[in-house]
Amino acid sequence: MSTPVLAADGGEFQPPGVGSFDFPPIVAGITKPMVLLVLSIIIVGVFFWAALRKSSLVPGKMQFAAESTYDFVRNSIGRDMIGGKDLRPYLPLLVTVFTFILVNNVFGFVPFLQLPTMSNPGVPYGIALIVWLVYNGAGFARHGAVGYLKHQTWPPGVPGWIRPLVTPLEFISNILVRPLTLSLRLFANMFAGHLVLLVFILGGEYLLLHGGVLGMVAGPLALILSIVLMFFELVIQFLQAYIFTMLTASYIGGAVAEEH
Amino acid sequence: MLNENTTVLAQGGPNPLFPHIPETIIGLISFAILYFFVHKYVVPRFEKIYQERSQRIEGGIARAEEAQAEAQRTLEQYKEQLAEARSEAARIRDDARAEGQQIVEEMRAQAQAESDRIVNQGQAQLAAQRSQIVAELRADLGRQAVDLASRVVGESLEDETRRRGTVDRFLDELEATSAPSGSTSS
Amino acid sequence: MEGNIAILGYGLSAIGPGIGIGLIFAAFINGTARQPEARGVLQGIAILGFALAEALAIFGLVLAFVFQ
Repeated sequence: MSTPVLAADGGEFQPPGVGSFDFPPIVAGITKPMVLLVLSIIIVGVFFWAALRKSSLVPGKMQFAAESTYDFVRNSIGRDMIGGKDLRPYLPLLVTVFTFILVNNVFGFVPFLQLPTMSNPGVPYGIALIVWLVYNGAGFARHGAVGYLKHQTWPPGVPGWIRPLVTPLEFISNILVRPLTLSLRLFANMFAGHLVLLVFILGGEYLLLHGGVLGMVAGPLALILSIVLMFFELVIQFLQAYIFTMLTASYIGGAVAEEH
Repeated sequence: MLNENTTVLAQGGPNPLFPHIPETIIGLISFAILYFFVHKYVVPRFEKIYQERSQRIEGGIARAEEAQAEAQRTLEQYKEQLAEARSEAARIRDDARAEGQQIVEEMRAQAQAESDRIVNQGQAQLAAQRSQIVAELRADLGRQAVDLASRVVGESLEDETRRRGTVDRFLDELEATSAPSGSTSS
Repeated sequence: MEGNIAILGYGLSAIGPGIGIGLIFAAFINGTARQPEARGVLQGIAILGFALAEALAIFGLVLAFVFQ
């Protein structure tokens, strides 16, 4: 539809692509995602510090907000997935993962920043690697090497003749693929969401400026839609942080659980 | 930004799956710092608050239970006292009733004794008076009858023994006639 | 026509998870409608299932980039 319009205008529209995520260094090899990463831990740190500085039994506004976040991770995610007595050692990891990813995701919604840090795959890979080490380490510590492998790949109640099929599959899905899906899910959601927003905003801008009469109608429509989409993305950003934390908790819970 | 990217796009763009290594390192360092902060400060602090809160609530519950027990104890005590007082009152009432009964009995007995005594005394007095009167009358009557008879007969009844026999005989007759009426009146 | 045929692979790989996620949330809505008090438990399970089904589509997307 837009091709004749573009052709009439003469300028060629370059759709945003994977190149939109390759940021040139601002100064001395420091890129925008790096700044955002540092900013995110400052935000989270200050948030918790300000909330807990004058902590009391009856929470104030700030403490209530921090407590709701903490409570959400602790009770809605952690306790459901890991269970009461094993939860405490892994609680800091869950809280860190949730707040870190949430803040970095929500950067995609904040004006002027407008970039979910996790839409570059480096950090999700790193966090997924940490999670992989933690849950496998927890399983080894709990069940021993052989016990843990049996725990993860030898589901009880499976008929003997299907074991040659089930056990490698369980190994692949439980040990090998989990960190990949964990990181790629986060990365791909943020990447795709940001790309869709870019298409709407840049395309709308292009239509408005170079699209002629039809573009004058279609351009603002696209920009309005981009705002709607941005709120939709906000939901996704929150959901992805939640899913990442929940899966982390679920993997740890599965690794340290007693026999099924 | 778009202009800068066009050159990259022309080459097909970098593969987005390759991590930007410095970025990953920065991300991991940030994550580690945040983890350290959360591990050392946030979680212990929150857990302490939770624990304090639950202790506070449990303490409150314990206090409330104590107060309730106290109230229960007081109530028991009060009831006990009330029951005691009630039984005491009943006992006092019973005592009073018994005492009253006793007093009435005593009074009655006393009155009875008194009346008996008065009656006896009266009867004794009456009997004494009667015997005195009878004795007087007997002497008087004898003398007068002798006088009268001597005057009527005109002769002196010197013989003492004969005279006494006559008078006695007369009086016995008199008593025999009045005896039925005298026995019923006493 | 320009483009990469690997993107078609992504399109195909998104069909299955699309159907699966639809079924998961249909079941979640049904369950919540029948037993509103079970909402909290069901929500966790539904989102877990959603994440697992979504993994397949993500593989499609990743492979589309790998064979670019």
